[in-house]
Amino acid sequence: MRPAILAGVVVIQALAAAFFLGDVAADLAVGARDAHSLIEAGVTLALALGIVFGAVELARTIQALRSQEAALRAAAGALGEVITEAFRDWRLTPAEADVALFALKGLDVADIAGLRGAAAGTVRAQLASIYAKAGVSGRAQFAALFVEDLLALLPAAAPPAS
Amino acid sequence: MSAPAAPGPEVPEGGPPALWDPIVRLTHWGIAAAVLLNATVTAESDTLHLWIGYVAGALLVLRLVWGLVGPPEARFGAFPPSPRRALAHLADLLGGRPKAYPSHNPAGALMVYALWATLAVLVLTGIALAPDGPGGTADRNAAFGRGEWSVVLEGGARLGERDEEMVEDVHETAANLLLILAALHVAGVVVESRGMRRNLLRPMLLGARGRAR
Ligand code: HEM
Repeated sequence: MRPAILAGVVVIQALAAAFFLGDVAADLAVGARDAHSLIEAGVTLALALGIVFGAVELARTIQALRSQEAALRAAAGALGEVITEAFRDWRLTPAEADVALFALKGLDVADIAGLRGAAAGTVRAQLASIYAKAGVSGRAQFAALFVEDLLALLPAAAPPAS
Repeated sequence: MSAPAAPGPEVPEGGPPALWDPIVRLTHWGIAAAVLLNATVTAESDTLHLWIGYVAGALLVLRLVWGLVGPPEARFGAFPPSPRRALAHLADLLGGRPKAYPSHNPAGALMVYALWATLAVLVLTGIALAPDGPGGTADRNAAFGRGEWSVVLEGGARLGERDEEMVEDVHETAANLLLILAALHVAGVVVESRGMRRNLLRPMLLGARGRAR
């Protein structure tokens, strides 16, 4: 659950607990000791405990999300390094490296041509050269090269948010 | 690119969080609204005044619990009260080179504790003055009739006729003090935001991805 929603629930619980607490205190203050007041007191206590547990749970969720984000950021940064290194190993020209990055991001030939102000034919030739240098048959295989790296970089401790 | 050692919150270069957690934000704006409403709109004898007071009290207690179990920058340990360091921070600020702190800066921390303490006094004296709560007007009248209206203040103090006036005075003084402190607090936010060249308001608002950069 999103932290903001959880937090909203905790806040509403706290307001409810204050309401019951005021009610119980009033009953006890005027000397009421009947079953109704005592049960109400017990329920209020349980609610208060529930809020504390809810708060602890919320804090854990927030921390878990943060370490996931940190892991993803670290992995994304590291993957960037892996990619640059691979491009260097394959001796891609600077123009080819640009095209290869766009291709990894999922842009098609027309998009890349538009972005680079080049003809589609040029981009197609550059892609062919890139795949040849990387020793793959096409775009799908080319992208798959790095998916494996990304998976290896993600710590097992950071499963996707449920 | 070396990530900071601890998987901390979204803290840009050691400053306060880019976004405070939802409990800090919800309790803060709830409390701020409650304080302003009860100071200006509602009359003391209104049931609504009592309701709003209870809401403020509940939010304050929640924030204090959060100070024990919340994420690191929301915990009391992240902003210990220290007048000496607060003064040092103000001197830095005047000198134009304030340091960045991962939670409240030392001056802000003192202010937060002062606000909390004043609010606590306000809420407790408020409860003492209306012991049976907002919903219990009927109960209260009945208890008055039996002459046994009394109070469950901490420690089980009982309020007599003469004490009531004193508690009322404390309640009023605390209310005025809280407004003065809040005004100083907002002024502090403005000054710090200028001095640190960082918008301190945005992290307290909803803008989920509003990074001050
Ligand atoms: C101008 C924008 C404001 C900012 C950026 C701001 C920021 C903050 C922060 C960061 C805290 C500490 C919260 C915590 O650690 O839980 C705080 C506390 C507090 N502020 Fe503000 N504040 C602002 C305006 C106001 C206003 C207008 C009021 C009006 C009454 C107010 C009343 C309080 C009170 C009573 C507290 C202590 C209780 C609490 O924790 O919420 N603030 N503020």
